[in-house]
Amino acid sequence: MADSADRYDRRAFLTRGATTAAAVGLAGVGLPSLLAACGSGTTAPPHASSTPGIGIGTPKRGGTVTIGLNSEIDGFLPSASHFDNSGLTYANTIFDTLTVVGADGSAKPYLAQSVVPNTDMTVWTITLRPGVTFHDGSPLNADVLVANMQALQTSALTGQALRGVVDTVAKTGDLSVAVTCAEPIVAFPHYLATQVGYVIALAQLESQNSTKPIGTGPFSLVEWVPNDHLAVTRNHNYWRSGLPYLDGLTYRPISEDQSRENSLRSGTIDLMVTRDPDAIRDLRDNADYQLVLNPNVGQGDMDFVILNTSVAPTSDIVVRQALAHAINVDELVKLFGAGIAKPNLSLFPPGSPYRPADNGYPTYDLAKAKQLVAQAAPNHGGSIKISLATITDPRLLNEVQAIASMWGLAGIQTTVSEIEQVTFIDNLVTGQFQAYTDEMFGATDPDLNYVWLSPTTANGPIALNFARNKDDALETALQTGRTTSDQAVRAKAYQQVDKRLAQDLPYLWASLATWCSIGSNVVQNFNNLTLPDGSKALGFSNGVLDPTPVWRKD
Amino acid sequence: MLRFTATRLVQLVVICFLISVFAFLLVHLLPGDPTLAILGPNDTPAARAVLLHQLGLNKGLLAQYGTWIVNIFHGNLGASFLTKQTVTNALSVAVPIDLELIVVSQVLALLVAIPMALIAALRPNRAFDRVATTSTFAMLSLPTFVAGPLLVLVFAVTLKWVPATGFNRLSQGLGPNLKSVILPSVALAIGSITVYYRLLRADLIATLQEDFVTMARSKGLSTRYILLRHVMRPSSFSLLAGAGISIGTLFTGAFVVEVLFQLPGIGFQLVQAIYGRDYLVVQGMALVAAVAFVVVNFGVDYLLTVLDPRVRRA
Repeated sequence: MADSADRYDRRAFLTRGATTAAAVGLAGVGLPSLLAACGSGTTAPPHASSTPGIGIGTPKRGGTVTIGLNSEIDGFLPSASHFDNSGLTYANTIFDTLTVVGADGSAKPYLAQSVVPNTDMTVWTITLRPGVTFHDGSPLNADVLVANMQALQTSALTGQALRGVVDTVAKTGDLSVAVTCAEPIVAFPHYLATQVGYVIALAQLESQNSTKPIGTGPFSLVEWVPNDHLAVTRNHNYWRSGLPYLDGLTYRPISEDQSRENSLRSGTIDLMVTRDPDAIRDLRDNADYQLVLNPNVGQGDMDFVILNTSVAPTSDIVVRQALAHAINVDELVKLFGAGIAKPNLSLFPPGSPYRPADNGYPTYDLAKAKQLVAQAAPNHGGSIKISLATITDPRLLNEVQAIASMWGLAGIQTTVSEIEQVTFIDNLVTGQFQAYTDEMFGATDPDLNYVWLSPTTANGPIALNFARNKDDALETALQTGRTTSDQAVRAKAYQQVDKRLAQDLPYLWASLATWCSIGSNVVQNFNNLTLPDGSKALGFSNGVLDPTPVWRKD
Repeated sequence: MLRFTATRLVQLVVICFLISVFAFLLVHLLPGDPTLAILGPNDTPAARAVLLHQLGLNKGLLAQYGTWIVNIFHGNLGASFLTKQTVTNALSVAVPIDLELIVVSQVLALLVAIPMALIAALRPNRAFDRVATTSTFAMLSLPTFVAGPLLVLVFAVTLKWVPATGFNRLSQGLGPNLKSVILPSVALAIGSITVYYRLLRADLIATLQEDFVTMARSKGLSTRYILLRHVMRPSSFSLLAGAGISIGTLFTGAFVVEVLFQLPGIGFQLVQAIYGRDYLVVQGMALVAAVAFVVVNFGVDYLLTVLDPRVRRA
């Protein structure tokens, strides 16, 4: 049962579009596939005469659409609930973020009319759109925004993430708020496009009700039955005139990949989100469906093996090098990628300005791996023994067994195990692991991953830098990327980050996550989100949909 | 009869109490606690301490158990630490699904098993009996997680007659409701058909060899009359007992079907709650499922006394 009958896996861990969301919390780490790749750089095959996900003709008003998602969420409170890709999709339905990511990868004002920095980017002034109301009729204003941001700051879930980003929040006008950052944060607008950018009504905020969301979004809540469905209806007072087109939407969380695919094929649902390479392979050449792959914007989620650099033997760089050289990623992709996945041996996808021409990542070389094992073994009792674990998922288990076999060829003894999700997270956070499969780093700006990579979060009994990789040069590069607005300097800084990671090897890269949205031909425009000024925004990214512009053909 | 009923009621209360203790203790024996699920990577000692206090989990086990039991008597099974939904709400979603699955699957199973067993018992070791026995063995060897996807592939994906996943409540119409439960019910019924068929067939064959049946035949009564009027009743005790156990276990044992067809029944929600260390949901669901099992078998025992006066007199 892929992606687990252990649905709890969906309460994942790391958010899509990560913000430090440690806050944004638990995102679909699920790690379904060690392999990924679909997405970046590839284009969807043509279907009929349309571009997949882009509506043909005049939008039709009315009707409802049923969407199948890969997980359920635990609530609708941005400061307390864990928004993985499904959570963010739900949130996009009922709430709005202050900014959204444009098709060019930059963060554009959305619910905010403007987000303007001072000269050194330590103070950002957010000006809200006038005349916007929540579903309960209450107005959106500076007081509401201040209350939202303060709730995020003080929350146990999101507070730690914001600590390094937001210092103070103050109202400067009826519709304007000044956010003072702890240091220059160039990517601040990108944070406002994530979980911490959703604005909820004061009534919901004060009651801390996580089951009855009140937002400004295109749809309002009708009914939420956890693990069954979420039903919403059109917001007739939506601030974007003419939108949405649909009368309503129903979301169904279907955690099992095959069940979700079957639901689409049987007509039980009209649109689905998946990261299953098999489903993509099955449906990509079927003219009855439109397939939208992950866009080549920002960073996609990466699938990899994470190594704990603070415990033996993975604390030994020679061992980590041996492990990297021993994995034949091309073979792994061929075995488990269904012809869809592509290897990616970098933190950044191909074509990214942050990806260096050569990051120095160790390529597959079995002879070299054996040599390194022979070199390191005397320091570890004469042999290298690794414990490699994954969450309870049959497909992942097959993949880690393949990796264990590859390591075995190099002379590394590997014990493979499956661990329940809660314990898995606990072990990652407390450092009680040697090697785990993992998935994260999806972000529209690399600074959103600062908290996961920085040595400043690698200390103590609880560390958000799970690999506990401490590299001063890495921190310097991360800080440069965080604080400079010179794009050329930023690019160089993050290229340095990639090179340092390839040198330190806390992560053994495999491939990009195969996120995909697939809809029947009656569903139109599910990848055509536009901004109020008409320019294009990201409609689908890293498993997150925005249903605002969707309409039905029939 | 009154004494029988009273005795059983007392036993029911004692069993329910023991179940509540086990359900409470077992979930607390699991490593970890809900704070990790709620706080995730922010599960610092300070945040954890605050949250444990908020959830009442910093008290001793006896105090927590006492609070839980007292709340139950006030009709409050508690709320999920994670979703904040009350356990009662969760049960109001789960129980109708499981009840309908059980009813439909068992009715299907009995509608198939009983006629098969009757025909097979009348002509044991003949063609029909052999075919029926072989095919029921085949059904028994077909696990639910294989049968389910096959049914979906044929009837949902290929023929598009029924939905592949999800549950449509009765309020959405009888037709949509039945369509949404027929495939999972068939998947569940497959295993039950075999058990019921074999139990009933064996008892029927044994009963048909009794002297009173010979007597009835010699009196000129038709085979059909003898079967339905005289033989069926004494042959159904094993079937009834088997059905009781089967129905009881289905309250949580339908988990695989619930996941395949995305039906948030008791089994599905129970497993989710265990993974999330959602103590109150686990305790509430486990208690309800166990009590349901006991009550169903209590009912079966009572029915046995109705069917068989000898049990009543014993």
